[in-house]
This record gives sequence, structure tokens and C-alpha cells, in this order.
Amino acid sequence: MSRFTHSSDGAAAAIKETAVQKLSTRAQRDERLGWSLVAPSVFIILALILYPVLYNIYLSFFDVSLSEGNTFSGLANHQEILRDSEFWKSLSTTMIYVIFTTAGTTLAGLGTAIVMNKKFPLRGLIRSLILLPYVAPVISVVFAWQFIFDPVNGIFMDIFYDRLHLFSERFSLIGSPSTAVWIAILFAIWKNFPFTYLMILSRLQAIDENLYEAAEIDGANGWQKFRHITLPEVYFVVNAIILLRVIWNFNKFEEVYLLTSNVKVLSVYTYLKAFTGTMDLGQGATLAVLQFFILIGFILFYVKKVLKW
Amino acid sequence: MKQRTIIIFVVLITLLSMSFLSAQGEAEAQVKAEPVSIDFWTTETQSDRMATIQVLIDTFSALNPDISINLVPVDENDLSTQAQTAAAAGTLPAIFEAPAETAVSFGTQGIVDLSATRALADSIGVDRFYSGPLKVLQTTDKSGYYALPYHGWIQGIWYRADWFEEAGLAPPNTWENVLKAARYFHRPQDNQYGILVGTKPEAYSEQCFTPIAMSNDAALFDSEGTLIFNSPEMKDAVQFYAELAKYNPPGPQNWRGRDYYMQGRMAMFFYSTYIMDDLALAEVAAGSLTGENFSDLGGTDFDPQLVENTRLAPIMTNKSPAGYGTVVSLGMFNQSSPAERSAAQKFLEYLYTQNAYITFLHMAPGGMNPMLKEIASNSRFQNDPNGIFKNYGAEKMAEIIDGLEDIRTFSIVDGVRIEAASEITAQQIIPQMLYKITQENMKVDAAMAWAEREMNKLID
Repeated sequence: MSRFTHSSDGAAAAIKETAVQKLSTRAQRDERLGWSLVAPSVFIILALILYPVLYNIYLSFFDVSLSEGNTFSGLANHQEILRDSEFWKSLSTTMIYVIFTTAGTTLAGLGTAIVMNKKFPLRGLIRSLILLPYVAPVISVVFAWQFIFDPVNGIFMDIFYDRLHLFSERFSLIGSPSTAVWIAILFAIWKNFPFTYLMILSRLQAIDENLYEAAEIDGANGWQKFRHITLPEVYFVVNAIILLRVIWNFNKFEEVYLLTSNVKVLSVYTYLKAFTGTMDLGQGATLAVLQFFILIGFILFYVKKVLKW
Repeated sequence: MKQRTIIIFVVLITLLSMSFLSAQGEAEAQVKAEPVSIDFWTTETQSDRMATIQVLIDTFSALNPDISINLVPVDENDLSTQAQTAAAAGTLPAIFEAPAETAVSFGTQGIVDLSATRALADSIGVDRFYSGPLKVLQTTDKSGYYALPYHGWIQGIWYRADWFEEAGLAPPNTWENVLKAARYFHRPQDNQYGILVGTKPEAYSEQCFTPIAMSNDAALFDSEGTLIFNSPEMKDAVQFYAELAKYNPPGPQNWRGRDYYMQGRMAMFFYSTYIMDDLALAEVAAGSLTGENFSDLGGTDFDPQLVENTRLAPIMTNKSPAGYGTVVSLGMFNQSSPAERSAAQKFLEYLYTQNAYITFLHMAPGGMNPMLKEIASNSRFQNDPNGIFKNYGAEKMAEIIDGLEDIRTFSIVDGVRIEAASEITAQQIIPQMLYKITQENMKVDAAMAWAEREMNKLID
């Protein structure tokens, strides 16, 4: 009996072993299959994202000439950029642009979402109309805005100068470098707040009504309900959107350049440096690298401290 | 029933085999003729002009079925950048249309096919060209051409002759007269402005600035090729330009500001002869008029008197008289395949034939003027479909075309071609400087020092 048991034990062990073997070969096969399935995507990511990033970093160490080839220049590009007052000016313009557009889109989006979460007639229609600026093509709305602010024929001057006499003279808000940045900010808020609104609204709709009822029974007023229920519930959505908005607007090019062309945020300054006038592609690459690292630094800080992931 | 099926089957088989055979035949024919496909970069980016050029291409392709030409619109302001990047990527088109200065700058970069251009010039006949424009495109050693002149325009100050007469002001042909009139007519409180000069960092600004600088004997280079940009003459010209810009409509301006003139809100503007059809034809002017587009805005409608009330002052005088114009050229970039090279040459020869040439020029009567002498006096050319020649009279048109012989540029000093000057124009250093002064309130000295540094970077 014991012998039998023993032998059956041995057989069981053998079966188990082959099963493990089978499992491991199956696991290996699955792994191989998995890798082969993701390989095309990995390749595309490496080729289209990692390679350009690395090549850009590589270029930043060179004096780039399209006709005569590149000459290694070490850190000369970086030093020159850091000594360039235009760079610091464009960095501060970028900061102003990013801070105000992010704050503006977030507040406008949050406010609109809270209003649109209440029940009122024609709510469905208005909810979709609000999305219009976000879905309209940039170039067409840019032309409309440029015409609104045209100093001679525009509607803005027609109302505020001709009819209301608020200004002492006509001027080009969109053309003058000192005011253009504020128009670009206003434009970005108007164009992009519907996205924030949409995200927050969908989160608001998921909040349990019981929470508000319970708070009412406890005697909470409107502000207290907002402060202690709504805000904590939307905290992560809002902060995730803020992070995305900072990333997007820090790199924003087309909206700024098409609308004003004289608001030199970093991406516009990089373009002007690299592709106009004396076409300094090496310094353009350096600017892009600096922009990249500033952004990475911010993302790491934000994810750790604010989102606490 | 069975018979019918068989018949249908046989017919189908026959049709299939026929189409197969004919496809094979086509393929064989193509192999024999070696089809080539070449790109043509044009600066005529407006859709109606591209449509006209496409008609010419289609006609050419019908005559030469083995050559297909791909029309690519490139903005004049982007030409240099596009060419440099295309050269680095090895994707230069076979044919380009470019302002002469830009073509010369291509030539100095060594990306132009000089031997093919020389052959083209010889096959058309050098003597048939106006000599002035051809000289602008000649290589330094005078052995060939960077491109060949195709059409050209002259520029000057267009002004409201009726307003000037009423105010008792002299035509804007000297620095003093221009400034006096600009001051007199500048009434921003009435939404009326003195003058339009370019202040955006674009080619138009340099086109306005050049005659002012030249009339003050300011130059970029001396005949030895030394940069003499930072001279008292140039500084005077820059300061004068900045002063004129104060009587501009508000904000940075480019050629589009001419709309304000069409609306009767401006006394003078720098412009080429391209404006002639806008002044004379209501349907062309419509795009510039608020009344046509925004009926609620209390805007302005087409003024049929404007063409009579407008005069052109083509020559600016201070220390010496100076006119300005631009020659637009057709040229060929280096191509690796001989088939592409000969296709490009063939197409350009076609564009210089009488019918094709006149069709091209009639896209903008007055704006596009011929570079072959015989076309200028051709009666079909003088009878344009829009009636511009009739409107202005053949004599006035002949005067304009003759003006092309005396075009002066920064890049020819005492008959010597200075290639670096073309490079400076192509990279728009001067417009950027003018923008810094007029819009960013940079001091003239600082802006000129900046421009000089950038110019030196290009020369090195």
C-alpha cells in the first residue's frame, strides 16, 4: 500500500512537473505572442517619438547647416541661448500665457459645468452649443477674431471707440506686441474651456445625489455643499485637466502664431529662430530641448505633489 | 437559353482580353516613352491663378503625354526656407518661379542648374529679352543666368490725386512731399490715414523701404563687396521710414492694408502695378470692401471714380531719383535625372511661347508685365479680357513696361553683382529690423546694429 502510495506520489510529482513545464512553455509562448503583438507599436513609438527626441538632443550640440553639414560645437548653443535676453523674455511670455490660459479654461470650464449640471429648458441644445469653439477649425476662427480686432474696420473698435467712446484713439489690440498676448490668452480660454467643461460635467453627473441630501439634512448651505462635496469629488479630474492643459499650452504653436504672430512664446520663438532669417537650426534644437526639460520637470513635480500618484 | 449563356460568355471573354491587351499596349507605349513627373513650385498661390497655370500644364501635357507636371504653391515669404530644407532632403522641384533676388540666392547656394538655364536662354534667344531684367539674373562671371526673367512689376506710391489737388499738395515724389502729405491727411479721429508702408517682418516692408534707401544713396554693399549697411545715409533712411510709419493705420501692416485705400480711408500707399485691376474692376475690388461683405457695419462700397482719382508716383527722390520693381523669374533646380532636366527645359520653353505666355500674363494685367520685347507690343497681349489696358490706355501701360528697364536693387552696385545682398533680401533681415523699430519700439541704432550682426552671419 505504502509502496503504491509512494509510486503514486512519484507519478503525481512527475505529472505536476510536466504540467509546470507545459505551463511555463505556454507562459513563454504567451509572452512571445504578446511581444510580437506589441512589437509594431513599440517600433512606431521608438521611430516616431524616441528617435526624434534623441536626434533633437544630439542636434543641440551642433552648429547645423543644411548645405554644409554639421559641426560639433559642444555646449556653445546652450550657453548662447541662456545669455540671450530674447529667450528669457519668451520664457516669461510663455509662463504668463500658460498660467492665465490654464486658470481661465479651468475656472470657466468648472463654472459652466456646474451651471449646466442644473436642470433647465433647452439644456441639451445649450450643452452642445458650448462645444462649438472647441470643435471649430482654428484657422477659420482665427480669421474671425482678427477681423473683430481690426483697428479700422473691426467690430471691437466700432463698439468701444465709435459708439461708447471708451478709448481716445483707435489701436490694434492684436497687432501691438504688448496687448497681443492678452488677446491670445483670451482666445485660448474661449477656444479650449469647452473641453474642461465636458470633462468636469461628466464627473459631476456621477456624484451620488444622496451626498447632497445628507448634507442638506445636516444643515449645509450651498457653498458648504460645493466646498465639501463637489470640490473633493472633482479634485482629480480638475487636476488631471490642469496638467494636460499646461502640457498642451506650454507647447502651443498654431493658435498663437496664426492669431498674432508677434507673441513670442517658446514654441513660436523656436520656430522663428530655426526657420526664419539666418535659420539657426542648432539653436532651434537647443530651444526645443530646454523646453522639453522644463516641461518634464514640471510634470514630475506636479504628479508627485499635486496628484500625489 | 444555353446558347444565350454561351454568347454572353464569349462576349465577356472577348471584352476582357481586349481590355487586357490594350492595357498591355499602353504599358508598352509608356515604357517606350519613359514617363517623367516633375514638380513646379509657383509663387502664384491664389486659387484662380493656380487654375490658369494648371490649364497651361494640361495643354502642355496633352502635347507631351510622357511628361506630367505637378504644380505646388509656395508662399513667396517661405521660398528660401522651403528650398533650403528641400535641398537638404534631396526633394528639390525641377522648376521654380521666384523673385529674381531669391533666384540669385538659390544660385549662390549652388542648387540651380546653370547649364540647363544657359541652354534654355540660348534656345529662347537672349536678344529677345529686355536687357535690364536679364542683367539682374546674370551670374557674377557673366557667363550665364541663375534663372530667366518671366514677368515683372514696378512699384511706386499710388495716391489720391483729387485729395492732393484739393489740398494744394505736390505729388508724393520726394521725401519732403511724401512726409508733408502723410502728416496732412493723417486724421485717425476720422478713421483716415496718411500712408501705408510695410511694418510686418515680410517681403512687402523691404519693397517699400528699398526706394527710400536708394533715393538717399544708401546701399548694403560697396562695389568691392564690403558691407556698408551701417552708414549715415542708411540711418537717415531708416529714421525717415520710421517717421512715415507713424502715419500708418494702427498696428503692424503688410500689403493687405491697401484695403483701407480701396475703402477711401487712406491718402497714399506703396504698391506695385498689381493694384490696377482692383482699382478699376468692381468684382476684383469686392474682397477689399467692407460694404460688400458686412452690410451691418456701415462700411464702404466700390468707388467707380477711384481709378480716375488715383495716380502713381513711380520715382522717389531725395539725394537721387530711385525707382523700384521686381523681376519674377523661372528657373531650374539641380536634378539627378537627365530626363527630368530635359522635361523641365521643354516645359519652360513652352511657357515662353506666345500663346502660353500671354495667357499667363493675363492673370494679372498690369501686375504681370512681359520680359520679351515682342510680347509687350503684341496686340493680343494689349487686349486683355478684363479691359485693363483699355481702362488705362496703351500709352500708360507702355510707360509701366518701359520702367522695368531701370529697375535698381541692392544687389547690383555699379554694375557689379553682390550675391550676399540677395541673400540678405531673401532672409528678410531688413523687414525684421523695421518691425523691431516700428512695433517693438527698439531704438534705430540698436536695431541697425542687430541687423548688421545678422547680415555678417550670412556673409561669413
